[in-house]
Amino acid sequence: MYRYDTIDKAFVADRAAEFREQVGRRLAGEITEDQFKPIRLLNGLYLQLHAYMLRIAIPYGTLTSKKLRKLAWIARTYDQGYGHFTTRTNLQLHWIKLADAPDILEHLAEVEMHSMQTSGNTIRNVTADPYAGATADELDDPRVWAEAIRQWSTLHPEFSFLPRKFKIAVTAAAKDRAATRVYDIGLAMRRARTGELGFEVMVGGGLGRTPYLGPTIRQFLPSRHLLSYLEAIVRVYNRHGRRDNIWKARIKVLVASLGAEEFARQVEAEWAKGEPERADLPDTELARIRAAFTPAFEVLPARSEALERAKAADPAFARFLRHNVHPHKAPGYAIVDVSLKTPGETPGDMSSAQMEVVADLAERYSLDEVRVNYQQNLLLPHVRLDDLPAVHAALAAAGLATPNIDLVSDIIACPGLDYCALANARAIPVAQHIAKRFADPERAELIGELKIKISGCINACGHHHVGHIGILGVDKKGEEFYQVTLGGSGEEDAALGQMLGPALPADKVTDAIEQMVEVYLRERKSGERFLDTFRRTGVAPFKEAVYADAH
Amino acid sequence: MKALTGNLLRDGEAVFWRAGAWVPRFKDAELFDDEAVAESAEASAKTAQTVVVDPYLIDVIESDGLWAPLSFRERIRALGPSNHPQHGKQALGGEDIAALQHAHGAARSTGRVNLIKRK
Repeated sequence: MYRYDTIDKAFVADRAAEFREQVGRRLAGEITEDQFKPIRLLNGLYLQLHAYMLRIAIPYGTLTSKKLRKLAWIARTYDQGYGHFTTRTNLQLHWIKLADAPDILEHLAEVEMHSMQTSGNTIRNVTADPYAGATADELDDPRVWAEAIRQWSTLHPEFSFLPRKFKIAVTAAAKDRAATRVYDIGLAMRRARTGELGFEVMVGGGLGRTPYLGPTIRQFLPSRHLLSYLEAIVRVYNRHGRRDNIWKARIKVLVASLGAEEFARQVEAEWAKGEPERADLPDTELARIRAAFTPAFEVLPARSEALERAKAADPAFARFLRHNVHPHKAPGYAIVDVSLKTPGETPGDMSSAQMEVVADLAERYSLDEVRVNYQQNLLLPHVRLDDLPAVHAALAAAGLATPNIDLVSDIIACPGLDYCALANARAIPVAQHIAKRFADPERAELIGELKIKISGCINACGHHHVGHIGILGVDKKGEEFYQVTLGGSGEEDAALGQMLGPALPADKVTDAIEQMVEVYLRERKSGERFLDTFRRTGVAPFKEAVYADAH
Repeated sequence: MKALTGNLLRDGEAVFWRAGAWVPRFKDAELFDDEAVAESAEASAKTAQTVVVDPYLIDVIESDGLWAPLSFRERIRALGPSNHPQHGKQALGGEDIAALQHAHGAARSTGRVNLIKRK
């Protein structure tokens, strides 16, 4: 785990002190809301429907037990005792008072955390593969590069007033667990024939009103040049990105309007102008960062008899192993998914007490690490096979062991109109209703992988465009309606969903999901996921089933 | 009919205008049937920058003898999040809260308030 150095510590503390003074001036009426709003947004503080919301950055989704305990304490002390993990792997607290925000930033700084650049037209919190450092299919630990990007982009003077927000995701594995195709910049590590490591650079992906999958503008960028190349990309965007129209200001619009080839040419020209060494990370600094991401695994047997006995004795544990436990690169270890998707609960929500349970488990059983993924679940990345029964029991006792990872009830949902000032419709109750309908774990297992993603507005925080089933809330003359898309994916087979048909009223959505699941079960061939069947059959049978009543 | 609403600067709570002051419950909100009076109250509220952030007028409709904000969004502001009924103003309970919770949908267009659907 990366630890702040003295420079990191000093500037995070300075920033908290600066914000305290700014909040004081606002409360005293010395500055107006128009003057204050951009300042609070630069510190991740939004004003929503019921209160202020503080969005806390969790760089590349990595937490220690100390950090998670602090988040639990802040949620209990300054909020209503819970927080909401987002698709950007951040934590949102939805009941914050303005006067408390400076205190909270100071508490965060104590554990090397902050809320800088979780809003505003800046380079936002960088995300990475949640399996980083734990999976055998990676070429390197992507967090080394994500941390380098975090340091480079935080308070970068040239990139503090971009045309619009800017998000970067990094993976070093072939399987894309970081949704890199739908980021402003997606970085996927590749190995050249020479053995050298570098990045495939994808630019101009994004969801929102005009979704795009990011085209690759460079097949292979030697990793040592990452920062100078990123600088060239963001510089071209900063110069030519539109500032006259908020809906056309993201880099995806620039890339689409220029064409990927021309955009790439401009980036290469910009890159050629500079001296890469000026921006690129020196090897010594890279080595310093890398040293923070080298957990000490024990040498263990690849098979655990304790695990096998528990598995044979307890079908619930066996089911948990099938869905929530994944192979680890080190023999004798596993990656454990902590589901925040108990049917009927709010996707991504976690109480302070639950955070403390996971923090304790991480400290005791997972080399003190916790991860957040964009599916709004947590992970314990380094659990010994021998310890899995104990971890499962503790998670189950805290309501965190639902064996539904990637299944129909593992639904992404943004906060929607229950909290968010931008939303047009609620997302959470729709997710709750669907998850309860499919709460039977046997049925969910029979259905298999099915990723439902729900957004309460076109900004697409719930990633609906890349859901196997995507659901978008819309406001039709004051009533909540939901548009359904099918066939999206945010992974290595990335695709944008196709519209099913006219928007459905709220009380028809779960029935429609069930009808589509029935079509899939009827049509599927051996080994096909919902997505595969949809890709083979097209939208017609699903449309027919859902809209049959209308004919 | 209109009401004037905003969020308190200090904690962001949704509040409603009543005779120059701000009240937390929608049932206590002052209702304006005169557009000019409503706009004058809004202008006045906007001058008190250290109390409420961005005050604005909302449409209000009558529903079974009680008043409710026309839009679904404004009802959620007046109640709290529907996923956590123990949070927000809805936790206080009462007939006014129940009326807001049971009002469903919205007028299909301004002025046709009798078409509101009830759950």
